Amino acid sequence: MRLFWDDLHTLTGVYALDALDSPAERDRFAKHLNRCQSCSSEVRGLREVATSLAFAAAVEPPPELRTQVLAAAARTRQLPPEVNHHALPRRGARAWGWMPWLAGSLAAASLVLAVVFGFLQAGTNQQLSQARAQNLQIAAVLSAPGAKLLAATTTKGGVATVVLAAAKRELVVTMSGLPALPAGKVYQLWLIGPAKTVSAGLVPPPASSGVTPAVLASGIVTGDKLGLTVEPAPGTAQPTTTPILALPLPL
Amino acid sequence: MSPSDPDASRFRASATDRRGEQDLGDLLIHVARGDQDAFEQLYDRLAGPAYGVIRRVLRDPSQSEEVTQEVLLEVWRTAARFDPAMGSAATWVMTIAHRRAIDRVRSCAAAAEREQKAAPVNPLRDEVADAVEASLDRERVRRCLDGLTEVQRESITLAYYGGYSYRQVAELLSVTLGAIKTRIRDGLIRMRDCLGVN
Repeated sequence: MRLFWDDLHTLTGVYALDALDSPAERDRFAKHLNRCQSCSSEVRGLREVATSLAFAAAVEPPPELRTQVLAAAARTRQLPPEVNHHALPRRGARAWGWMPWLAGSLAAASLVLAVVFGFLQAGTNQQLSQARAQNLQIAAVLSAPGAKLLAATTTKGGVATVVLAAAKRELVVTMSGLPALPAGKVYQLWLIGPAKTVSAGLVPPPASSGVTPAVLASGIVTGDKLGLTVEPAPGTAQPTTTPILALPLPL
Repeated sequence: MSPSDPDASRFRASATDRRGEQDLGDLLIHVARGDQDAFEQLYDRLAGPAYGVIRRVLRDPSQSEEVTQEVLLEVWRTAARFDPAMGSAATWVMTIAHRRAIDRVRSCAAAAEREQKAAPVNPLRDEVADAVEASLDRERVRRCLDGLTEVQRESITLAYYGGYSYRQVAELLSVTLGAIKTRIRDGLIRMRDCLGVN
């Protein structure tokens, strides 16, 4: 048994180079890694060495590959995070515990930034007091007990980050990374409900960070989705194009 | 790609470059949230090494492009599942790239095709290596590889760049399986210490 274990342990290098013979053998060793902390930490280090070998072999790919990959990504849906995806239970579970939290705190930070930008962009006194009043409402949503953080990618790219205060039937949304629109077009937000669709306002132009100032939407009803469309300026009463985002709002 | 290609410098930030790695990890977090600008930046940092290593293994440029595209799209799709506790962002991507290349090689059709294109495996002296002589990374890796024994170096390059399984490497070098395992492991540990990765 001792011999067998030593034998397995020396496979760390072979495993790190993906040089085991069969998927079955790879699985068997991966199982062993679950139980052997020193093996898995050794594999991690040896894999970094393999990465250096890869960087040493870097070759500029043909330029058209870039175009193809970016275009393919733009039309490919991403997978959500998954707990315990990796086959290392103890470490894996703990590491995954904080990932959604981290993403959430980043998103929340970008929302706060967006609020500040909205504030800074207000020029006149009247705009300033409007901004102040709106910021108070936004702050109320952000700090509402049980507020939920939602995020979704639009079909044109860019991410909508939403804080939903279900009890208040209000939400705050900011967008980041939306593609720039041609002149005469605007992004318009909607509450798309089972009974009717109402405008939730235009998406303000993004600050230099690429994050748009926060927009507050009120009067959400059960079954509403947050929609986003491209409309002719200065916006329309009802959507005239296919939504590039339709995010269900859990009330 | 010529030796003076200025793009070569883009690939300098390796897994051992701490600042670069931090950026890559941050980029991946943004990619996981659907940020296409971040993905574009990630592409510019990692497509070269990914394509490079895939081409080393597969040799055929068009197959290599195809696999590179698959790999980078998988990175986009599964970015939310990157776990920093398991290793660096660069390593996550390079592991996917290398595994995909290996999977392709081990499928029979590709193996037959590769047989015809097979050339002596001499990874640090082919056109690819010559092309980016200036790269600091490459120099460092070369220096560390030079610090290995001949058999360690051969075993590692045959397995990683050549895409051979350790049984095949043992066959090629006419040594026992046990010896290959030990040489690859000892060689990588020596490389690790030489490169200063943890």
